[in-house]
Amino acid sequence: MSLPAAAARGSVRVFHLAGVEKVYGSGEAAVHALRGLDFDVMAGELLVLLGPSGSGKSTLLNILGGLDRPTAGRALFRDLDLGAADDAAITDYRRHHVGFVFQFYNLIASLTAEENVELVTEVADDPMPAAEALGLVGLGQRRGHFPSQLSGGEQQRVAIARAIAKRPTVLLCDEPTGALDVATGVRVLESLVDVNTRLGTTTLLITHNADIARIGDRVVRFADGRIRSIESNARRVAPRELHW
Amino acid sequence: MIRLAPLDHKLLRDLRRMWLQIVAVGTVLGCGIALFVMATGTYGSIQRSRDQYYAAERMADLAASVVRAPESVGAQLAALPGVDAVETRVSGIALVDLPGVSEPVSARVVSLPRGREARVNDIVLHTGRLPAPERDNEIVVNEAFAERNGLGPGDTLAAVLYGRRRTLEIVGVASSPEFVFAVAPGEITPEPQRFGVFWMGREGLARAYDLDGAFNDVAIRQARDAKPRELVAAVDRLLARHGGRGAYGRDRMISAQFLEDELRSLQTMASVLPPVFLAVAVFLVNVSLSRLIATERSNIGLLKSFGYSNLAVAAHYAKFSLAFAALGTVLGVAVGQVGGDYMASIYRSVYRLPDLQFDAGPLVYAGAIGVGIAAAVLGSARAVRRAIRLPPAAALAPPAPTRFGGLGERVERAARSLDAKSRMIVRRIVRFPRRSLSTVAGIAAAIALLVTSQHFPVAMNHIVDVNFGAAQRMDVTLAFADVHDASILRDVRRLPGVLAVEPMRSAPVILSAGTRSQRDSLLGIPAGARLNRVLDGEERPVPPRADGLTIARVLARKLDVQVGDRVRVQATDGRRRSLEIPVVAIVDPFVGAPAYLELDTLNRLLQEPERVTAAYLLVDARAREAFSREVKRLPAIAGVTYADNAENTLRRLFNEGSGFFAALFVVFSSMMAAGVAFSAARVTLAEQERDLATLRVLGFRRREASYVLLGEIGALLLAAIPLGIVLGYLLTRWLMSQFATELFSFPHVLSPAAYGQSVAFVAVAVVVAALFVRRGVDRLDMVGVLKSRD
Ligand SMILES: Nc1ncnc2c1ncn2[C@@H]1O[C@H](COP(=O)(O)OP(=O)(O)OP(=O)(O)O)[C@@H](O)[C@H]1O
Ligand SMILES: [Mg+2]
Repeated sequence: MSLPAAAARGSVRVFHLAGVEKVYGSGEAAVHALRGLDFDVMAGELLVLLGPSGSGKSTLLNILGGLDRPTAGRALFRDLDLGAADDAAITDYRRHHVGFVFQFYNLIASLTAEENVELVTEVADDPMPAAEALGLVGLGQRRGHFPSQLSGGEQQRVAIARAIAKRPTVLLCDEPTGALDVATGVRVLESLVDVNTRLGTTTLLITHNADIARIGDRVVRFADGRIRSIESNARRVAPRELHW
Repeated sequence: MIRLAPLDHKLLRDLRRMWLQIVAVGTVLGCGIALFVMATGTYGSIQRSRDQYYAAERMADLAASVVRAPESVGAQLAALPGVDAVETRVSGIALVDLPGVSEPVSARVVSLPRGREARVNDIVLHTGRLPAPERDNEIVVNEAFAERNGLGPGDTLAAVLYGRRRTLEIVGVASSPEFVFAVAPGEITPEPQRFGVFWMGREGLARAYDLDGAFNDVAIRQARDAKPRELVAAVDRLLARHGGRGAYGRDRMISAQFLEDELRSLQTMASVLPPVFLAVAVFLVNVSLSRLIATERSNIGLLKSFGYSNLAVAAHYAKFSLAFAALGTVLGVAVGQVGGDYMASIYRSVYRLPDLQFDAGPLVYAGAIGVGIAAAVLGSARAVRRAIRLPPAAALAPPAPTRFGGLGERVERAARSLDAKSRMIVRRIVRFPRRSLSTVAGIAAAIALLVTSQHFPVAMNHIVDVNFGAAQRMDVTLAFADVHDASILRDVRRLPGVLAVEPMRSAPVILSAGTRSQRDSLLGIPAGARLNRVLDGEERPVPPRADGLTIARVLARKLDVQVGDRVRVQATDGRRRSLEIPVVAIVDPFVGAPAYLELDTLNRLLQEPERVTAAYLLVDARAREAFSREVKRLPAIAGVTYADNAENTLRRLFNEGSGFFAALFVVFSSMMAAGVAFSAARVTLAEQERDLATLRVLGFRRREASYVLLGEIGALLLAAIPLGIVLGYLLTRWLMSQFATELFSFPHVLSPAAYGQSVAFVAVAVVVAALFVRRGVDRLDMVGVLKSRD
């Protein structure tokens, strides 16, 4: 990874958060998942979100992905107010700009790997062929298989192929390696980093693993619904150099 | 406070979450059970109360009419072996003039013994008192007639008895097992408004009929050990010289026979349809539960991975299913009981059976409950067994689609050209064939049940339509009090408004072949008859022949005869001729016509030329009033029936009787169809929930996600429609063939309307249910679905 490339990308703001709060429930039972977040995400960044369990990482990612809305504050994608836009606009946002990768893959069991990817490319504006996306994650040979015929890591890579195939503006990954062994986890991370560098896709990656944080441009540490620190990595480490 | 085991907490949560589904499945099962309880219970109750009534009021086993027999013959009859009790009576037909009623009304007048209860065919007095024995102007009338005409004790009416007009005073209202249905001579349906039964003191009536010290009618109860055939022969021998017309059993007593026919059609409905309903309900519950539990497969894997034993897991889902069964059975038994009580109250007045109480009996309830529980447990057992057989790991992984041969491959290849959402639909259907087939089968079964249950009214209406449209085309039927010579037709022709007259003769005979014999009526129908035609099953007229008998297939079977065989015909009336006549044709008559031949030939063979017992007329509608007024003056007339009245009566009778039953089937099958539709839609949503949420996460719009849900349900519905039509056709044909073994043949009328309505109803139910369920797409928990494994 070359530094100039990262610097060139870092000039356009993709997300802008100002005082974002999220409260689940009300009264006695209220849970403050997010207690006021302020920060921006720049185009082409690979941002790693770190933090203990329950600190609000997934909550934030869901808000940024248009799956949930903040209780207070503003969360903007470019000019789109993710808290105030109507459901149709949010759906369109997800459709055209967001690629998701989840801990539990969330593939459609009745569709093959390739068809799972096609599900997304079909409605995208400028997608890459499904076969190409699968090739990027090293699954070109397995595209006719159903999820039940793939290993967990392979399923996760299908999910990544599905997320990147539409060339999303932002790629949101919630513990994509959580269920995987080291070697497989490295493969998955390589796919993500590859997409981030080659396509310039802004990527947010949640992990529990401090080691993995080294692959990002910046690391955001969460604690109890707040941002404890934001650090820039001097150098992005390639996934295969990681050990955990 | 009881501490619940964690699994029971899960159970209660699940049940609360699925309450709508429980209601849907419970409704389906409840309908099946309710109908079963109601139908079997109602039939059993009616039959039981009829038998009790017959026993309590000593319903006759045998009856015979004679021209005139001295009272001493009564004692001889009582002395015959196998006779338990004998009641000799005077009986006749009276023409009645009711104030304000222009149409002719007639009544059967029957004597009551002096100073004691009738030993046979006793009556139950509802209001008033018995007539004084010696009075020839006091009568007790039957309940139906009194009710329909608003008559009661104290009212008077004018009647012509034996040619003499007199004023009769009603002193009481009664009913009798002999006249549960009072049917006028020559008629096939009771018309309580125009035909009544009058009971009068024996002496008074005997005087009116010139039968002092004699009788012309006898009712006999046979002893338990009686040999019916021999007894009939002995009675006939004794009565022959007094002008006996032949003794006959209950199968020839018109009320008993009518009630028996009604009961038989109720029985067929009760014994054939409800089990089918129950079977379909069981199937649907089975399907719903096994699909529901299939959606739990990862939970089952999880439980097993925690170390729960197969038994514990199975027990958990057995409890789960029992909740469905419990609702269904409780609902079914309760509705069945309430419905049964209601049915009993309806049938109490239709069949005029006193003390008709609905009581299905413990066996029916136990059976219903057992079936309900078995349905649910077996339904879940299959799915649970499949799930626990899987190693936990496999259960935790997404369900593996089945690859299956030729057709599936071809469908899939065809689906390649579709968009991914449509392909998802096709895939889900083709790759999970068991699931898809069970939904298709469930919806098809609902359509089939609706088609079949609608068929009863359709068939019945068709019978009435054809009978009065093509077979019986007269306006008026005149029944003569006795066998008359044809000169009476001249008087009839002179009545106002009469446009055409067609004679008919019905001769009481014993038909026999080999060792088999059957008492029946032999009809003489004129060649070229236009007003009263016999039609075959295909509704083609089968004219009478002069060279031999045309007989109904049922009768042919009873006598074991073929075309070409000779049948012995023993007249039990008039000259009592005994002949041998060849069978020249066997038909499936549309409506009962046991045996007939050309009128002149019949009269010639019986050596009684120019005799008639009835006449069919075309009457100018504008002259109806005048005709009614004049026809009453003809002394020979025993009954006048207007075809339109008869048609209305027949329709009403059907609507109140078995038609009410049939309507019930329609209601229940509609409810079942709705339950099936809802449960199919709901379970499809449950199965798709995760996929749909994922689609939404990926940026698919609600409309698109809904398309996947509705598309699957819609495609399955489309597949179910033709299957439902075919199933409905087969089921209907099978049911009608069950009916055909009974005395009257039930036509299998292809009614496009019934099919159309059934399909439309089920389709609308499915669409409404699907749209209702579709709202679930708006509420999909996108975040939640990402947090959990499949
Ligand atoms: N639907 C919900 N209702 C109530 N509380 C919720 C809900 N979803 C999340 N929370 C709470 O919000 C807080 C933040 O949750 P979140 O899922 O964002 O944590 P996280 O940082 O992603 O944790 P982990 O690393 O364990 O995934 C937690 O305390 C959680 O209990
Ligand atoms: Mg999380």
